[in-house]
Amino acid sequence: MKQIALYGKGGIGKSTTAANLSAALACRGLDVMQIGCDPKRDSTRMLMQGRLIPTVMDLVRERGDTDITREDIVYEGFMGVRCVEAGGPEPGVGCAGRGIIATFQILERLGALHADVVVYDVLGDVVCGGFAMPMREGYAEEVYLVTSGELMSLYAANNICKAISRLSSRSRSTCRLAGVICNAKNLPREEELVAEFAKRIGSFLVLYIPRDQVVQQAELNKKTVVEYAPSSNQAAVYRELASRVMDNRRMDIPVPLGIEDLENLAYEYSP
Amino acid sequence: MSTPRDSGCTLTGALSVTTEIEGSVTIIHGPSGCAHHNFSLLHALCAGRDDPRLPRVLSTDLAETDIIFGGEDALDAAIRRAAGKNPSIICVLSTCVTGAIGDDVEAVCRGFSGIPVISIPTAGFLGGGFHQGHVQALTSLSSLAEDDGKIPSANLVGEKTLETERDEHFNEVRRLLAAIGIPICTRFVCRTSVGEISRLSRGGCNILRDPSMEGVGRFLEERFGTPFISSFPIGSRGTIQFLEEVGRVFSLDVSGAIAEEEARQARIFHEFRSLRGKRVRFCDPSGNRTDSEVCREVASAAGMSVHPEGYPVPVPEPFPVGTEGIRRLLYRWRRACRA
Repeated sequence: MKQIALYGKGGIGKSTTAANLSAALACRGLDVMQIGCDPKRDSTRMLMQGRLIPTVMDLVRERGDTDITREDIVYEGFMGVRCVEAGGPEPGVGCAGRGIIATFQILERLGALHADVVVYDVLGDVVCGGFAMPMREGYAEEVYLVTSGELMSLYAANNICKAISRLSSRSRSTCRLAGVICNAKNLPREEELVAEFAKRIGSFLVLYIPRDQVVQQAELNKKTVVEYAPSSNQAAVYRELASRVMDNRRMDIPVPLGIEDLENLAYEYSP
Repeated sequence: MSTPRDSGCTLTGALSVTTEIEGSVTIIHGPSGCAHHNFSLLHALCAGRDDPRLPRVLSTDLAETDIIFGGEDALDAAIRRAAGKNPSIICVLSTCVTGAIGDDVEAVCRGFSGIPVISIPTAGFLGGGFHQGHVQALTSLSSLAEDDGKIPSANLVGEKTLETERDEHFNEVRRLLAAIGIPICTRFVCRTSVGEISRLSRGGCNILRDPSMEGVGRFLEERFGTPFISSFPIGSRGTIQFLEEVGRVFSLDVSGAIAEEEARQARIFHEFRSLRGKRVRFCDPSGNRTDSEVCREVASAAGMSVHPEGYPVPVPEPFPVGTEGIRRLLYRWRRACRA
């Protein structure tokens, strides 16, 4: 079983990338499970034809955590991709991080965590221990950073490196940085910049995903690009991503950059 | 009990106040264990004083789902449950976990009317220990006081409700104040009613239990314009000075009361005249050597001398209050000297 996690700045396109990656993996005949680890609960929506599936935390809120079955929380979407949403409290109350931890405990108890590939799609910022849960022992072994060439996005990715580097230095930890995915904003020299950033933190650029109108069109039609426009160039890119992820053997402990180094790097590649 | 006042949990310090309000119910907003530990401690201390009352403490009994979705609903329900017991006041104490997830305890408390519901922030991980909880509880409860005109009377502020000799200390201060015609307005807080707390601002002077309460003294001074005296009286000279200080605050002639008090002190030292000529050294409750000006003063007045090889005599912590405190101290010293 291969377990991968996608981390990156909020709004950078993690969920879009994750859903298209899952769809592309499923098209290769793999048994895929995607777990949305964000209280916003919209990670798997495009795999579910726009449906917001009930979240694990919704069910816990309604009926407590003992009376939940696997069928209540796992939903089959496009090409049989099995979708789970962790969910969480209403914005502004309680503890969403603890909700992620509780979701993992419930998934474990129900024996729900099995597939050829499990894709964890995690909230933008690793704000507390709860959101680092997918990186802990027994879960995602390969972390992919999703970033554009914008400084703020690189800054967030660099920050997440700190968490990966801390967690991966624990003796029994098997969590490593597998690579950096550039989800482009179509900035000049963006691919070069992200590739250089990846190299400097001790990793590599897995793939450059160009910005394409078809992503928005697919979303408006409540589908992944892989499903909506399978013959498009963008769908081919996602299939290429699936292929590279399956073949990737890189497992690095990243070295986060200092803020000045990061800013200087971004400046070097500015137009 | 000698409480390690700077360590421990703020929750315990606040409970030492809230459970002393007559007819109060205290809600501990957190997991049941926080309430259990503190209830056990208070219960044991009450039993040790032959006080049969059970502290009225409720827990919101939070579990994991309350932490994930927020504990405010559980608190709301607990306040309703507490209100059903017809308390004079409901005090809500927060704990570490509700502090960490940011429950708005204050806002939930504000949603009630009729019975006063007072929020006292006591998340222990924020630091400060027992003493900070004591101070926090007094500060929060002062919001119950109405801004009234002063009457010639004094408040006692920050009594250590869990200390063994608290009643002796209180009786002594009451006796000294009565000697100059000053009644006690409010004990803030020890066996106090909500009505007494609401009259807090009428006291013309706040007498602090000890200087660690100066923060509360300053707070009440700013809030109600009440001057404060930093400590209950300690030692023979300290007791006389205390009378002078209170006299100054109320512009009273206290010379008669002082003469009487000096005579009382002289009678006590005469009563313990078998101590004259004894050589002593001072020991703290753990048996270690200690020293203080007030010990030397009492020893000297009793005709004793301090010597490294002298009889080890105990110096209790806290030091006994007032002239009657000296009597109890000398009684213990006489036993230690086998005089």
